Amino acid sequence: MASLTGYATVSMILFSLGAIGVVSRRNVFVIYMSIELMLNGINLFLVTFARYHFNMDGQILSMMVIAIAAAEAAIFLSVIILLFRTKKSLDTDIFTELKQEVE
Amino acid sequence: MIDFVFVALSICAIAGGGTMVLHKNPIYCAVGLLISVLSVAGLFALLSATFMFMVQIIVYAGAIMTIILFLLMFLNIKEQDLPPEPKKNILVAMGVILMIPINLLVLEGVSRLEDSDMSIVEEGFGGIKELGMKLYTDWLLPFELISILLLVALVGAVVLAKKREKRGVKNG
Repeated sequence: MASLTGYATVSMILFSLGAIGVVSRRNVFVIYMSIELMLNGINLFLVTFARYHFNMDGQILSMMVIAIAAAEAAIFLSVIILLFRTKKSLDTDIFTELKQEVE
Repeated sequence: MIDFVFVALSICAIAGGGTMVLHKNPIYCAVGLLISVLSVAGLFALLSATFMFMVQIIVYAGAIMTIILFLLMFLNIKEQDLPPEPKKNILVAMGVILMIPINLLVLEGVSRLEDSDMSIVEEGFGGIKELGMKLYTDWLLPFELISILLLVALVGAVVLAKKREKRGVKNG
């Protein structure tokens, strides 16, 4: 069970769950958490192949993905606070300030 | 034994992810993601990536998930603030149908690779010493770029969070 295909299956399922969450939910928080889940699935894939090839470059790449996820968390969550203060809602369909009016 | 731990951790990871996608209340979604992240950390340990196991627990479960839970409680989200999602189940089903071919494609490719030994390495792989040696020699430039990125994110978060005076809106 704990073979290359097993680990790849788990990481692909995690990535797919994240992608499904991004396209199907309207809550901003859940969309952000889905992005985190996708990054987790990709990290697992990288670490799996690092073990498979007995080469640690994959682990370093996955560490950089975690650093970028931390930077993303800071920016994304402060943007969510600003949006929630102005609109009092978490619905992505309400945030249409930049939409062009079609005449 | 390793197979048993692997199956248990995988089930926890996938169940946590499924809870996150399907549940309405964001607090339960955050707890589901937390379970999923911790299970992935366990899988890292099974893949003998001990330093990644530590980083995953400290950065993801310790820092990012704490910020998310803190914010969810800070914003005090009520039931009426949550967006109505009447078409959620249909969209999830459509997403599953869309993602299955991509999964099958990747797994077909992976299963054609020759099988190799994935057992736990005792020493000399994935520890903090080996990873540090690699990080500060071969990967020095990306490492410095990541530190600049983190600095920019820090400044950006401060700029976004500070108070700004109201400007008059012209033309409505």
